[in-house]
Amino acid sequence: MSKISAMMDTGKRSLMNSQTALQTVGHNIANKSTEGFSRQRVELMSNQPIGEGNLQIGMGARAGVVTRVNNPWLEKQIQKEGMSMGYQDSRADALSRVEQIYNEQNNKGLNQYMTDFFNSFRELSNNPESLASRTLVRESAVAMSKDFGRVVGQLKAVQEDLDGQVKTTVNEINQLTKEIAQLNEKIQMIEVQKTPANDERDRRDLVLKKLGEKIDISWAEGKDGMVTVTAGRTGILVSGIGSSELKAEQTGARDRVEVFFVGTGSPANITDQITGGRIGGALEVRDRVIEDLLNHVDNMAYTLAKEVNKAHIEGFDKNGRPGVLFFEMPEATKGAASVIGVNKTIFNDVGRIAAGAQSGATGDNTVANLISSLQHRQVMDGGTSTLDDYYNTQVGQIGAVVQRAIKSQESQKNVMNQLTNIRESISGVSLDEETTKMIEFQKTYDASARLIKTADEMFDTVLNLKRL
Amino acid sequence: MRIADKMAFNQVNQNLTKNRSDMADLQNQAATQKRINKPSDDPLASARVLAARTEERGNSQFIKNINNARSFLEFSDQSLGELSEILVRAKELAISQSNDASGNEETRLVTASEIEQIYNQAVQIGNRKLGERYVFGGYKTQTMPFNQAGEYFGDDGDMKIQTHKDSFVAMNIPGSKVFLGRGLGADGIVRARYEAPTSVEQLKQFQREEKEREELNRQVDENYVETRGPASERRSTRYDKQDPVTGGGGTNIFSTIKDLEISLRTNDKQGVQSALDTLDQAISQVVLSRSEVGSRIMAVNNTMDSLQKAVVDNKVAASQLEDADAFQVISDINKTDSTLKATLETSGKLIQPSLLDFLR
Repeated sequence: MSKISAMMDTGKRSLMNSQTALQTVGHNIANKSTEGFSRQRVELMSNQPIGEGNLQIGMGARAGVVTRVNNPWLEKQIQKEGMSMGYQDSRADALSRVEQIYNEQNNKGLNQYMTDFFNSFRELSNNPESLASRTLVRESAVAMSKDFGRVVGQLKAVQEDLDGQVKTTVNEINQLTKEIAQLNEKIQMIEVQKTPANDERDRRDLVLKKLGEKIDISWAEGKDGMVTVTAGRTGILVSGIGSSELKAEQTGARDRVEVFFVGTGSPANITDQITGGRIGGALEVRDRVIEDLLNHVDNMAYTLAKEVNKAHIEGFDKNGRPGVLFFEMPEATKGAASVIGVNKTIFNDVGRIAAGAQSGATGDNTVANLISSLQHRQVMDGGTSTLDDYYNTQVGQIGAVVQRAIKSQESQKNVMNQLTNIRESISGVSLDEETTKMIEFQKTYDASARLIKTADEMFDTVLNLKRL
Repeated sequence: MRIADKMAFNQVNQNLTKNRSDMADLQNQAATQKRINKPSDDPLASARVLAARTEERGNSQFIKNINNARSFLEFSDQSLGELSEILVRAKELAISQSNDASGNEETRLVTASEIEQIYNQAVQIGNRKLGERYVFGGYKTQTMPFNQAGEYFGDDGDMKIQTHKDSFVAMNIPGSKVFLGRGLGADGIVRARYEAPTSVEQLKQFQREEKEREELNRQVDENYVETRGPASERRSTRYDKQDPVTGGGGTNIFSTIKDLEISLRTNDKQGVQSALDTLDQAISQVVLSRSEVGSRIMAVNNTMDSLQKAVVDNKVAASQLEDADAFQVISDINKTDSTLKATLETSGKLIQPSLLDFLR
């Protein structure tokens, strides 16, 4: 036979269950916009019934565990794609900046300065006697040298900026790895009591995602619920409750920032191992794309200076003196574009420009013609392309690379959006749903209270029996 | 599918961002009227646009070159016209004095004075200047080419002007050729001698050849008999003289006129008669030079026509590559604008109501 007190007890527990459920609903609503949050559910289960002869009397319900609704495989996939997203993002950003250096759609660029330079020699050939046309040659040569310098300077500025990005990102990574180690510890502590550490796991998933956006990582969860995170191939960033730092700094060997893993031993250079995430993208643009472009522009400046000098030194100037070097000759191809400049002698006296092939013939324009025809001579790529071809091809190539980078960035964004949508459809909070739950549990709460009231009235009835 | 609130918000966000960036892109195209604003907008086309620009700037420079060369050539042509006119006049005078019917010692003396003037005019023409440059001095444009004695101080240089990517035209005729008949081929036609060197090797070769030519000129000078002197002494050697080094048949215009003058002064009828032949040669030498100049003018005019056409073609090509189609852009803007409005409207509806709005 059931007891009134048991009834009251069932009501009381039900009240408490409803409260717990409502609390969880509240938690969900509050975290509706929390990044990486997975909605939670209280799992209710009916209590062990009591046997009364041939009757089984239910003893109400109790709250089991609070679980999160989450698909770990999807989370892992998002983390992986996020790595690729970070890579594509930083790559496309940096490349767009590089592209601007070569953009001549609206501004004057190297192509135009080179054309002006050769045209100035054509103008000189029209009138080798004139100081005005000689000055034009000097000005156009100076302007062209400056533009070579501008291209190199801007390319290096992007490299330096990427250096800065690598440094900042490494600092962020160190914060994130520390947090993961702390979360490892918390999760282990909570789950040792057989309670799922829902919020902590959500947070750790999120931090892993964020870490992956910055650098390529691989990670695995151990039996104790703690994750081990490795960056590149050898940099173990998190192991259990401990974390190791990365360090980004310049070395003596190179003037660029490199990434070091600071473990227990001496710091190991892991720059080459990083091929993903924002750092991976930045390194790729900095060390491959820009280095390549720098080589190209150096090559161009060196060949140009060499060829012009070769012709100029054979000529004779306005006063019949033998020609000097037209450009200060760069010592090597490397760095030629940043040092190319008009020879001081010529800069100070445009009369020293050697337009003619013979001494004492002021109208001789043979050398001026020769230098101007360099524009259409195949002096680059082992004699297969002209300076113009060489440069224009590069601009086309950069355009193509940037276009491809932006396209893959967009498609990666679409992949991410789709995955995030799937994640939200599983783990996201829906207000409608929570409201419905809220009403449901409120009604349950009402009804449980009504049950207690009824039990109370029953008690009253029993207690008042004597008085009747 | 279960729809969480965030999904709706994300979707609204993505749609609006996409529409707005499409719109910004189109507005940029409308403002610049260009389809390509950076290389990545169309890599292949942007490289071609650069090449077209280079081409265009080159062509404009070639047009400037041609204008410059043309004025030089036209001035030379005009001067040579005058030169042939005075030579014809000299011939007329020589004919009239070559027989005793129309000339005697006195008229020959008078005529000699006029021939002297013609000589002076010839020297003057030889020293013509265009701007600050002597036209007939070869490369030596700052040195007066001829002195009163008809000695030459210029050189044989052909000032080449680039008229197209690979073609050069000489804009001058050196006085040594047209006035002294030096370095002419056996056909007596004045031609520019060399292709313009386009490599250092060719330049060195050119310099060597110029040196040889200088040496040659020196020998010619040495072997030529005096320009002046008693007509009787010179006649036999000067007559039908071939260039002793090249074998070319050039005529020294100054000595021809001078010879005539001397013959007239000395009342040397035979000398006057024989001067008629040399004068004919001189006239034909000038006429041939003039025709060479004329043909160069024609050539540069033709190049000019094709350059001007190329400039237009180039602009058209670049425009086709990089310019935005205005109609397309405007209609795209309208389309995107209505899409954006529709997105905004539906987004408003999507975000607004939740169950909470209906529980009052």
